[in-house]
Amino acid sequence: MKNYLKLGMGAALGALILAGPAAMADDEKIIVGFATAQSGFMQAYDKPAEDAARIRIDEINKAGGLLGKQIEIVAADTKTDRAEGAKAGLEVLDKGADLVVVSCDYDFGAPAALAAEGASKISFFLCAESVKAGIQGVGPNSFSGSVLAAVQGATMAEWAYTKKNARNFYRLLDSWTEYNKGICDGFDWMLPKLADAKLVGEDTFKNDDASIAAQITRIKSLPQEPDAIMLCTMMPGGVSAVKQLRAAGIKSMILNGSGMSGSYWLSATPDLSNFFVPDQGSVHGDDPNPKVNEFNAKFKEVTGGDPSSQYVYPGYVMIDVWAKAVERAGTTETAAVVAELEKMKDEPTLFGPRTFTAELHHQNKGRYLITGVDNGKPGVVDEWTISEAIPVDYLASK
Amino acid sequence: MSGRPTILARTWSTPVILIALLALLALLAYVVGSNPFNQTIIEIFIRVVLVVGLYVFIGNSGVISFGHIGFTCLGAYMTAWLTMLPAIKKSKLKSLPDIVLNNKLDYGWGLLAATVFAAVAAYVFGKVLMRLSGIAASIATFAMLAVIIQVYSNWDSVTGAQSSVVGIPIVRVVWPYFLCAVLVVLAAYAHSISRSGLALRAARDEATAAAASGVDIPRERLIAFVISGAMMGLGGALFAHSVGVVTPDTFYLGLTFITLSMLVVGGMNSLSGAVLGVVVLSIIIQLLRWLEKGVDVGGSTIALPLGVQEIAIGVVMIVILMYRPTGLTRNKELVWPMKKLSAEGSAAAAADGKTA
Repeated sequence: MKNYLKLGMGAALGALILAGPAAMADDEKIIVGFATAQSGFMQAYDKPAEDAARIRIDEINKAGGLLGKQIEIVAADTKTDRAEGAKAGLEVLDKGADLVVVSCDYDFGAPAALAAEGASKISFFLCAESVKAGIQGVGPNSFSGSVLAAVQGATMAEWAYTKKNARNFYRLLDSWTEYNKGICDGFDWMLPKLADAKLVGEDTFKNDDASIAAQITRIKSLPQEPDAIMLCTMMPGGVSAVKQLRAAGIKSMILNGSGMSGSYWLSATPDLSNFFVPDQGSVHGDDPNPKVNEFNAKFKEVTGGDPSSQYVYPGYVMIDVWAKAVERAGTTETAAVVAELEKMKDEPTLFGPRTFTAELHHQNKGRYLITGVDNGKPGVVDEWTISEAIPVDYLASK
Repeated sequence: MSGRPTILARTWSTPVILIALLALLALLAYVVGSNPFNQTIIEIFIRVVLVVGLYVFIGNSGVISFGHIGFTCLGAYMTAWLTMLPAIKKSKLKSLPDIVLNNKLDYGWGLLAATVFAAVAAYVFGKVLMRLSGIAASIATFAMLAVIIQVYSNWDSVTGAQSSVVGIPIVRVVWPYFLCAVLVVLAAYAHSISRSGLALRAARDEATAAAASGVDIPRERLIAFVISGAMMGLGGALFAHSVGVVTPDTFYLGLTFITLSMLVVGGMNSLSGAVLGVVVLSIIIQLLRWLEKGVDVGGSTIALPLGVQEIAIGVVMIVILMYRPTGLTRNKELVWPMKKLSAEGSAAAAADGKTA
């Protein structure tokens, strides 16, 4: 037993040393804490957006800082684990974070955001697209840098109706994630508003289904091929679904959420055409705004690779709007900054305007670029903003 | 039997030593006073509750259960239902009974309800499962886990299916967790020296002889199953209050295997093993995390690549089990004073039903 005791003592001592003293907030600098995944599967989503956020912080620091102070970054790894997420949140708060940046996904970001909320600090989800990533799911000091998934579905429906004369829609939902359901919720909200557009059928599948043959048979047995298929899905199962739809000879236009954006997977479907996704900015080098292309170049310079998908951009936007709010409030004090953020109406950013209100800390309307894939080549084909914001009540009821 | 000290007199020091160890951890959290460290200690206490819960059934009966984390899930959701604000419940968990929907209880009641609910569920499942033995029983418990998780992952209007249930009051002070860990250790100790606990261990070591001596094996197993189920439920409720978010996938294979490994590494058949397994593995995990973050050595930072911790903990477990196949404690209990172990024909092992 002596050995156990020794072991216990030694370990306890070790723990004491590694815990270290908690750093206090420093008046000379502003601290941004990243409680994001540096390992585990969420890292693939968090890292690019975080890189973009760091680029914006760097720009601000080079331009003289925020309120005359330099922004310092502290980080803690959530390991793509909820319990670790809560710890990571507490850790960056202990290091004096004025802003806590949390994981892209609502489920994995929430524990750290709740820790920030408990300490009355502002939390920003890097790119979560659920209405819960904000007031509805965390609390009054929580925000997201991205645009709601529902806006993507609504955007695609209205754009296809107006610009592509689509009238017969088919809704194919991958019921795996909240995000997927969110896209289809937006589509459902928009469709009845489009005169003589109709839903000719709907079906569901699961992301890891090896085959969607049954769903395809149902589409094929329709009297007439639908003009557009609203495909609410994401990686990795989305690629297989698209491939199977086309292999079955279905030529309908395929509409997607931003989860299918990017070119990294297109080699799996070499001749894909008539395929459209909404993007906040173009990663393909053809964004109508030259500043976005400049940003892409800078991103490549800093990280060594092009942005892989549009999910890089919300990280940049997030720091951008937060810094503006801090500048206007003249302080990093939570209530004042939240009040400034809530005053933002169509605040211009590199990747579309942002609006925050006291009811919604997310975008229920937003400008999207429409990227089309033609013969396996992606490119920006249009730009669209939905005619009407999706009501908060509708979003919250979903 | 006269002249021979009672089992209580011979073994009372075990829970005292274990509780002292837990108290030391609680004290450490208090002294250090850093929030993330506090949260780490809370996590250790929760794991102590879970692993001791596993020990009560697995250690005493010898039947490996892969299903106990199912009760943790039941407990976590039960406290979530009871302690969340009615407004949040009405929007997300619409089909809960009205009385639950319109009220909000303190977390203490949530913990109690979670414990009772998990115990009832354990009784219902156990009534059927405890008739099985060996690998069949293990597989059946795993099937039970799958059933519970599938129901909770799909019952949209009651559990919110796979989306996170958020809005559970978060408790970030150490003492409730410490108290629960102490209670669980005491309960596990009391069970292990009770008539039922001793009979169950006898059945574990010599099933035929025990049955011939009048031990009703399914009954004794059921008692242990219900007690351990209750502890797992309590652990789940504590988890819910420590993080503030529950989802069904938290309570699946990942948690099942980490808690089982802690039990096996500590020493499956002893209460001390359950507690030490958690404490030692948690400390190793923390040290590795610390190394991943980087350590300043003479001006330069040395850091392990991220993700090494998960690999290293696996290697550490293999090494421990190579040299100590019966766990760190060799399946014995910690007792005081030490010499009793040899002097009185291994008092601790005797209390434990003599294994190792």
